[in-house]
Parts: sequence; C-alpha cells; structure tokens
Amino acid sequence: MPEPRIVAYACTYCSYPGADLAGISRIKYSPNVNIIRVLCSGRVSAELILRTLREGADGVLVLGCHYGDCHFINGNHRTAKRVAILERVLEYAGIEPERLRLEWVSASEGERFAQVVDEFTETIRQLPPMKQVLA
Amino acid sequence: MNRLEPLRSAIEEVLDKVDGVVALRNVSGHVAPHLFKDREELDELAVSPKYPLPGTLHLIQTAHPEAQLAIVCRGCEERGLIELAKRNQVNLDNVTIIGLACTAEEAEECRCAKPYPSVLVDSHVGERTEPVADRLAEGLRQKDVAERLEFWRKQFDRCIKCYGCRNACPQCFCPECTLEEGLWVDKGEVPPAYPTFHLIRAMHTAGKCVGCRECELACPANIPLTTLYAVIREEVKDLFGYEPGVDLEDRPPLVLTMEVES
Repeated sequence: MPEPRIVAYACTYCSYPGADLAGISRIKYSPNVNIIRVLCSGRVSAELILRTLREGADGVLVLGCHYGDCHFINGNHRTAKRVAILERVLEYAGIEPERLRLEWVSASEGERFAQVVDEFTETIRQLPPMKQVLA
Repeated sequence: MNRLEPLRSAIEEVLDKVDGVVALRNVSGHVAPHLFKDREELDELAVSPKYPLPGTLHLIQTAHPEAQLAIVCRGCEERGLIELAKRNQVNLDNVTIIGLACTAEEAEECRCAKPYPSVLVDSHVGERTEPVADRLAEGLRQKDVAERLEFWRKQFDRCIKCYGCRNACPQCFCPECTLEEGLWVDKGEVPPAYPTFHLIRAMHTAGKCVGCRECELACPANIPLTTLYAVIREEVKDLFGYEPGVDLEDRPPLVLTMEVES
C-alpha cells in the first residue's frame, strides 16, 4: 500500500502560521501532508478541491481561521458552507466524503495542527488510493 | 384536457397591456420560444414540449430592461424565475406571469415535485396534478459509496462534453463559465475527467437547481443528471433549510455569510 498523499490548503493568516509554529516547536507530524498556502480558506473553491482529488491527492485538508478570526471577516463562513455541501456531493458521486476535511487552526495552535494532520492521515490510510479509485 | 385554447385566451387578455408575451411557437412542426406581439401570431402558439423560457426572458430583459413583458410559466419555470430574480437576472416588476399547469404525464416524465405554479400567480391554465416522487434519487440513496461510483462512472463515461446541460440550464447565466476556462477541466478531453467536470457543475447547481430537468432533456447521452441534483437539493434543504424557487424572500445560503450573533 503506497503512502497516502494529502494536500492541505492553509490560510495565510491563521493556519499557515499554525503549521509554522508546529515546525518551530519541533512537533512531529505526518510527512504525508503537502501544505499549500492560500490567502483565505474562502479561496478554496469546490473546483480547486475537485481538481486536487482528480490529480491524485488521496485527501484534501482545508484549514482556516476560527469563526470571528477571519482576516476577511467572513471568508471562513463561506468555506464552511461550501465544504459541508461538497462533502455530501462527493458522497453521492461515489467518492468517500472522509477524503475532505475542514478544520479551524489558529496561529497559536501548532500542536492542534499536528494532531489534525496525524488524525487525517490515519483516516486516509484506511481508504483506497485515489489513483486506484479513479483508474 | 386541451390547454391550448385556454392558454390562448389567457395570453389574449394580457397582450394589449404588455409589449410582448414570451411563449412557444410552432412553425411547421418546430417548436421554439417566441415573443408574441400580435393576435394573429397566436395561431402558431404551442404548449409543449417544455422549454426553459426564463432564460429567454433573461435575454430579452438584458437587451430591453424597460420592456413590459408577460411569460407563460410552468411550475418549474416559476421556480426558475424566482431564483433568477434573487440573483438580479430578471426583474419581476416588469413581468406578468401566465401560469400553466403540467399534465400528469408531463409531471411523471419529469418526476416533478410541484408540476404547477402557485407562488407568483394565483391561478393557472390547466388542472393541478399530483407531485411525483423521484424514484431514481431514492435508488441512489440506497446504494453504497462503491456502487455509486460505479454507477456514475458508467453514466459520465458517455458524456461528449457538449455543454448541453449548462446551455439548457435556466440557472446558468454566468457570461464566463468555469467549465470552459481550462484551469479546472482540461480542454479537449472527451469524456471529460471525473470528478471535475460533472461535480463542479453539480456544486454550482447547489442552492440554485429547481429541478426543471432541462439539463437531462438536453443531454444527448441520457445521463440522469437530475438524480444527482435532486439529492443535492435535498441535502441543501437538510443543511440550510433552503429550498430553491419556493419563496421570493428566502436568501440562497451559498451567497450569504452566517449571521453574526450579537
């Protein structure tokens, strides 16, 4: 079984510094994750998530600011609604909704970032590789 | 029951008060949307087949924003108009609605949940028929994830990427379509990659799709698109309590942010 490949979209104001803090604090977390910095979790469109899965990512993690902390005031509200629907769309289209997860990670939550990534990697490990699913 | 004669008299009633009536015209067997302006033209009036007239109304209003128009409206077209009005694509202030109920056969064919208009109009031509439950959507619910994937892969493999579903959709009004950009869906790939092309479109219908089934009627490959959109519609209702096309005042959830608690 090949190692799962996970793409994490981390917002530049909260979650990316959170990931940075995890690194600075020397917290170990799963190396399966590829972090991509986005200006806001609200920028992570359904198109982006679907294309990421199409390109063979086994899981997509969307990381944004907690409610009320969004730099753009309500960008994360949009993400929350979008991801909630997309999870159900994926489910009906035959793609495990567990492959997509939305989490709020603030800049001070390095430990939480590591925990989220580790948990998500374990979840994805239980699923067949996306390349095999879409073959 | 013949609906042509009552519909004709309903149109004749409003014809003098408006600049034109958007309805279907049958020219030697070919039915197409038409803007009726004279009584003589009404000899060629047609009732069926179904055609997405709200899109036609949108086009005319874009070119002539001041025009006073009337439109013949089925249940699904009324729902479509409501959603278009919410997104500022049609101006209902300048529009008179002529309601038209679908026959039991039409409702059955469309698996329509509400085959008559009742929100924007008080009465309609034709008799109300019973709503029809969508058995295909129920069947999809009972499948497990692997079966669903197999089912949709088989369906979407037939896609020839003609964009018919998008072109027929009364809710697809964007001047530039993300499906054509080439950024998310590679150009020149047929059938288009799963899941990008089809699920991007499915996501874009969330909170907008009124279940008029125009996409499915337009599809040359007979892909049961509305089955997927129907379950999405139910999920949107479940998540946000929003049903597209039911109420003019309800705001669509995906264009709104959550209300700030004070």
